[in-house]
Amino acid sequence: MTDSLIRVEGIVKRYYRGAEELTVLNGINLTIGDGEFVALMGPSGSGKTTLLNLIAGIDRPTSGHIFVRTDDISSMSESGLAEWRSRHIGFIFQTYNLIPVLTAYENVELPLLLTPLGGSERRKHVEIALHIVGLSDRMSHHPSQLSGGQEQRVAIARAIVTDPTLLIADEPTGDLDAKSAEEVLVLLERLNREFKKTIVMVTHDPKAAAKARRLVRLEKGNLIEDKNEKETTPTSRKDDVLAGGYQR
Amino acid sequence: MGSFLKALDAPDPAETRGMFRIVTRHKVGLTSDLPLSYAQRIRQLDGALGVTTFDWFGGSYIDNSARNFFARFAVEPETFLQVFDDARVTRGSIEDWMSDRAGALVGEDLIKKFGWKLGDQVVLVGDIYPVTLQLTIRAVYGVSYGGSDGLFFNRKYLEQALPSFEGTVGTIWIKCADAEAANRLSDEIDRIFDNSPYPTKTESEKAFQMSFVSMLGNVKLLLTSLGVIIVLVIVLIAANTMALSARERVREVAVLRALGYTRRMILMLILGESLMLSLIGGFLGLSTFIIGLEPLKVSLMNTPISGFASAIMLFPEVLLMGFGVTLFVGLISGIGPAIRASQRPITEGLRHMG
Repeated sequence: MTDSLIRVEGIVKRYYRGAEELTVLNGINLTIGDGEFVALMGPSGSGKTTLLNLIAGIDRPTSGHIFVRTDDISSMSESGLAEWRSRHIGFIFQTYNLIPVLTAYENVELPLLLTPLGGSERRKHVEIALHIVGLSDRMSHHPSQLSGGQEQRVAIARAIVTDPTLLIADEPTGDLDAKSAEEVLVLLERLNREFKKTIVMVTHDPKAAAKARRLVRLEKGNLIEDKNEKETTPTSRKDDVLAGGYQR
Repeated sequence: MGSFLKALDAPDPAETRGMFRIVTRHKVGLTSDLPLSYAQRIRQLDGALGVTTFDWFGGSYIDNSARNFFARFAVEPETFLQVFDDARVTRGSIEDWMSDRAGALVGEDLIKKFGWKLGDQVVLVGDIYPVTLQLTIRAVYGVSYGGSDGLFFNRKYLEQALPSFEGTVGTIWIKCADAEAANRLSDEIDRIFDNSPYPTKTESEKAFQMSFVSMLGNVKLLLTSLGVIIVLVIVLIAANTMALSARERVREVAVLRALGYTRRMILMLILGESLMLSLIGGFLGLSTFIIGLEPLKVSLMNTPISGFASAIMLFPEVLLMGFGVTLFVGLISGIGPAIRASQRPITEGLRHMG
């Protein structure tokens, strides 16, 4: 059993559409261990993306608490939360969300600009991240010069370049063809197994979910299923290059 | 625009050089003449160091085009330089001018413009006065401040050609001993002639010159209004550009914020971009102005506002004002989009379909 990394305690999230109140998450309790690869599944409107956003600290719960290690992120200030995200969260979006005017290198460097690292250190980190995703030869390419799969791998490099505590992936294969999707999933699996990255992934795709080692299913804002599909222990790190990340 | 306004506010040369010139004209307006005897009466006043007369001749040289337009006055050569002692004769001599009744004193700018030289003939065909004058250039003058683009000839030549002109005068120019004398004489002269059939209005040289500009309407107000309108239009265009630019990048901003960029950073990024764009625009505008200033002055030299044109220059205050306006435009146009972009919830930004 892994150590607890995330504790979601009694999370409720409500939205208002005009006068109508919509309860998207209805008292969710969830614990995610360090080094887990969790797939959040469920039909549209089940609240899985909302839960992902809350865990990532880009949205706030109506009530309840979310602890990442000892940090209660639901009570952090706006600027404190931004700073926390820059340290602990790596985002992988469905539509990659790379900045089109920046090269692959510059896109990956973006999160590092918030760190005290100097130019040469940043370069080293960016090169390692791009090496891990297999795009060392595409550093100077702009997103428009890359395929969808390559763009998503650049986005993954951007997510891991700061060596974050947690990788958040929202439908990472949703916009990709089967081959590219498989490559991305293999990469995520490798990040989890080799680099012990904790990954929380929202997906509709059963093949993607099959790569995860734990499946959490939501429906109408309630957690209806939580099972470990493959109870395996993460292998020891073969390449500890990210673990030696920068110290703030 | 600022340089134009500044040129209108150019300092009174009489004051800056301690020459204290005042001008007396008919109270009704410049089209009404005064008796020539007024000049003699004013000469007797205490504090009047020099008094001379001016009569606008008008007419045309070669044709009536603006290119061939310049100031033409009938004056008294004997007293002219007593009042305009900031002018210096650079070629020929005042004696040569005085000794030839058909002689003319011509400004250096005009000499340069038309390629004239001493002894050349200048023919002016009258319009106000039905007479053609054949003048000979006998002296050339220059001034260190403003333009030297006037032609002055002996009023006796005009009196000889047109007896009806005798005994009348358009304006009387007085050189006063000091500022106190200038103020006192302005009131005193008008008081002396107040109850006469030809009441006068006496004012400083600058006020007199500005009255010509005001004939075009309130030029300063017009230019200022134009400037304000232009700045407002630029602000609207720039604000629209920045709003569009920010709207196109809603997702990018949301991604940056998700990565850990704070609201303040986003605000500064967008505001910085707006300021930079505005500064680049301001720099280009200023460069165009600097490059185009001389050609503009040259082209205005050939127009009735040539005197005004000569005062246009690159004033440091105007540069500073331009810099201020540039910053203002950048700040105002960027602040709205910057605040909106930085305040938009991340989840909303990520859902945005740009």
